[in-house]
Amino acid sequence: MAVYKRTYKPYEGSLTPGWSRFLILPRAAYTYLFQSKFLVMYLVACFFYPIGCAAFIYISHNLTFLSAMNIRVGQMIQVDASFFRYFCGFQGGMAVLLTAFVGPGLIAPDVTNNAMPLYFSRPFSRAEYVFGKMSLLLALLSAITWIPGLILFLIQCSVVTGWAAQNSWVAGAIFGGLFVWDVTLCLIALAISAWIKWRIAAGGTILAVFFAGAGFGSAVNAIVRTQYGSLLDLRQVISVIFSQMFRDVAPPALSPSAAWMALAICALICLRMLSKRVRAFEVVT
Amino acid sequence: MSANGGRVTFDNVSRFYGEVLGVNRVTLSIPPGITSLVGPNGSGKTTLMNLMSGLVHPTRGQIRVLDIPPTDPERLCRVLGYSTQFDSFPRGLTGHQLVFSFLRLFGYDEVTCNRLAGAAIERLRMTEAADRKVAAYSKGMRQRIKLAMAIAHDPQVLVLDEPLNGLDPLVRAETITLFRELAAQGRHVIVSSHVLHEVDQISDQVILLSNGYVVAEGQIQGVRGEIQEHPMQVLIRSSRCSALASKLFEFDHVVEARLVEAGSAVLIKTRDADRFYHALNHLALNGIDIEGVAPADDTVNSVYEYLIGEEGSR
Repeated sequence: MAVYKRTYKPYEGSLTPGWSRFLILPRAAYTYLFQSKFLVMYLVACFFYPIGCAAFIYISHNLTFLSAMNIRVGQMIQVDASFFRYFCGFQGGMAVLLTAFVGPGLIAPDVTNNAMPLYFSRPFSRAEYVFGKMSLLLALLSAITWIPGLILFLIQCSVVTGWAAQNSWVAGAIFGGLFVWDVTLCLIALAISAWIKWRIAAGGTILAVFFAGAGFGSAVNAIVRTQYGSLLDLRQVISVIFSQMFRDVAPPALSPSAAWMALAICALICLRMLSKRVRAFEVVT
Repeated sequence: MSANGGRVTFDNVSRFYGEVLGVNRVTLSIPPGITSLVGPNGSGKTTLMNLMSGLVHPTRGQIRVLDIPPTDPERLCRVLGYSTQFDSFPRGLTGHQLVFSFLRLFGYDEVTCNRLAGAAIERLRMTEAADRKVAAYSKGMRQRIKLAMAIAHDPQVLVLDEPLNGLDPLVRAETITLFRELAAQGRHVIVSSHVLHEVDQISDQVILLSNGYVVAEGQIQGVRGEIQEHPMQVLIRSSRCSALASKLFEFDHVVEARLVEAGSAVLIKTRDADRFYHALNHLALNGIDIEGVAPADDTVNSVYEYLIGEEGSR
């Protein structure tokens, strides 16, 4: 063995905070994602309803406009918790379609191409990888769900004096309900993307989780004569959670605790699926 | 720093994937310089590399990379650069963006990442292609951009899985020169290969693997001397090869005598070189015509064949 010169000097400069490194993944991915015209068009379409709602809130409190149109204030739909509850349901549905479009491309390419060692041979953990991929979708979902929801809430607060003081809990319901829904969608999309490599099949599976789950849940309810089959229908589950958060007076078909339990189990299954696939090497069995 | 602080050490390391053996009872101490892991497919080369990179944790035993345990990835990944054998990159990125993005995972600021990425790309002579999409790269260019990613953060230990695979002869020569430069700077350059000719050219030492076991380690000549229980090969040219083979086979230290080169030579495998040459002299003096004698096992190929068998030599 030759005697080598010892000239190695490691990097000694400052480092960015460890917590922020997950943001590197979406940064590169957004550039690629927004090359899709369909995605851009769909994202724009997702803002039609919030913009319509904003216009409605403004108009419904604009007495000059109402009198010009010969409309009495009482004839307009009330902007209250139910208004925001419906907004959450509508935008939550739009979020499902966005998830089906974006979700399949999150992890599948890395799994298919054995790219995981590229990430994990850097100071970057599996949790940071999942969080980074999740943040990509979560940011998009947030942009069409709770962020416009809170903007509408602020518009309503600005046009009706004293409304905010009595209805501040609505803001919590908008954020809490939609954020829980967004995280659930992200976890399902990540788990399916980690296991199904073919993009169209993965997108179809994401939709099937929501739509076939509803049918399967109804079948279970009919056969076993129970209501708990509805726990397989994630749209029903989130509807119960929205009802609880928006303080609906009508009793939901399922108990809120059962709905929360169903979401927790769904999240655990997704995390387990991710744990099996997001690793630096293929397990030989 | 301990006595092994400047080495990559494996202490009785085993790794099983369920019931499947990855590597078993590996004890190694790898010094700076170029070290080659050689073995056929499934011999455990990649598992060994994954173990020292912290991507796989050992089922048993201890690993230290410059005294850093692989369970401390924050420290380990800063001194270690890993290039996988797979061609896989996130979509849509150019060469520079790729090296830059993965440098950002180390926590360096943008200016530093740009500088380091540019330097690594230039070192691999990829500057002209740096702004092209990786998806449009040739196989050789992909290999080089992977190497750029591995060396970009200036690691002290480089672990490179099949790094010369797919390179044309010119780039291969340049890459080997790069390995030598890195090794001369006191770094560990650990490469895997199943192309044995490459190992001959570039290695300071080799580690031969078969079926998850280290069957030999050390300098190529040293490996040969270390395994005295394995026969040495000698090629003898003679006009009476059949008679020579028959006579030699009578000696108990000769384990194989095979006619090769269309019967114009005999390949002998012997366990005792001294006794063999003494016997050969005796035969020559007794009228067996011998045209030439040459050792046939000074290359890694023959050592490899001895140790691993026919599977390894293919």
